[in-house]
Amino acid sequence: MTKLKTPRAETTEAFLAKAGPELAALCTACGACFAACPMVDHIGLRAADGKAATQGLRRLALGQAAPAETIAWVGACAKSGLCVAACPEKDAGLDAMLLVRIAKQQALNTTHQLPAKQDPTLFPRVKIFARLQLSDEELREWM
Amino acid sequence: MDVGADRVTFWFGCNMLRHAEMIRLSIMLLERVGYDVSAAGGPAYCCGTAHDHQLHGASNMAQRTVARFNAAADKEGRGTVVTWCPSCHLHMSDIMSPGNAAAFEIAHITELLADRAERLAPLLHVAVKRRVLLHRHVGLATHVAVNDRVAGLLSRIAGLQLVPGPAHPGHMCSALAAVPGALAKAARETWGTAVAEGCDTVSTIFHSCHRELAALEGKEGVHVRNWVHLVAEAMGLEASDAYLGWRTGGAPDIAAIEKADEAKYHALVEPELRKPPPA
Repeated sequence: MTKLKTPRAETTEAFLAKAGPELAALCTACGACFAACPMVDHIGLRAADGKAATQGLRRLALGQAAPAETIAWVGACAKSGLCVAACPEKDAGLDAMLLVRIAKQQALNTTHQLPAKQDPTLFPRVKIFARLQLSDEELREWM
Repeated sequence: MDVGADRVTFWFGCNMLRHAEMIRLSIMLLERVGYDVSAAGGPAYCCGTAHDHQLHGASNMAQRTVARFNAAADKEGRGTVVTWCPSCHLHMSDIMSPGNAAAFEIAHITELLADRAERLAPLLHVAVKRRVLLHRHVGLATHVAVNDRVAGLLSRIAGLQLVPGPAHPGHMCSALAAVPGALAKAARETWGTAVAEGCDTVSTIFHSCHRELAALEGKEGVHVRNWVHLVAEAMGLEASDAYLGWRTGGAPDIAAIEKADEAKYHALVEPELRKPPPA
């Protein structure tokens, strides 16, 4: 059972706007999350400077542009979650995976350093799969 | 209405709609161990995680979905939302609930079934003679020990030999698809390990892994099943897999295609079913 968090804002959007600077303030840019991330190997950044990459993470969370290594890293986040346990500030409340996710959103929407990858066929496609297989009753009751 | 511990909403997400049998089997398993289940999913219950580029829209989706689950808790006493999809689980826990007051808790389906494994065990009366490699990812372990939960359930099946597979990055295969080469590497490693270990079956845990690996069905004598299929086999129940059949050269019944919308089927679904395997 995952106990859900007490709401800290009126909307998800407001929460993210609040959480980014809070998490950035807790982050010391030590590079531990970057070192623990298995996706770093996939994007050829294992030899990169983890401290610089995580300094960029803090910048993104504050809505500021980040270096290319940070952008490539947050863009490749696959939610492995190994950063969470690796973060030395976790006991202080720093959820490293959430920080990376917020940084990625900022790179998409604020600094525009990542291109938006909108798939307009996502919902229409799953609806067709549903209609192929579900009974009328299932369509009515489940969706 | 009072919230009952046994009254749950099974939130199967969006993309699991490719696998109707897996949804039905999941509901059946929850019911067999004593839960009263109402299922919900599809775009009307979107978590918003696929819409990071539209924060306002995603926020509205999150608000709508939480409101619907709150109504189910209030009016039907469904105080637990049972997740399947790791994206939905993470998003509800980390992003949706801090911005929306939730009148419910969440649990992954494998947690509820593992908690009532003693009720499930007597139902597993058919030996399943398979040597099974469990396809695993490291993600979601921050919230749910899903690999251990599934291994625990499968280990109760007579005749089934379980081999833990490599622990791949990400929370499921779709998360790797955006990074060039990452998904293919995971698929190659899974298949290579299955063959090296003498397995005849790869068991997926999540729908997106099932979707990706289905295209490799039968390669080198290894077959693809989801863990719910294997549990159903052990219960002596039919465990068909339409998506796997379509992904390996088959096609839906023409009447079903016409009902679904033939033009949209050809434009949206057929390209997915005919794309090359990941490895």
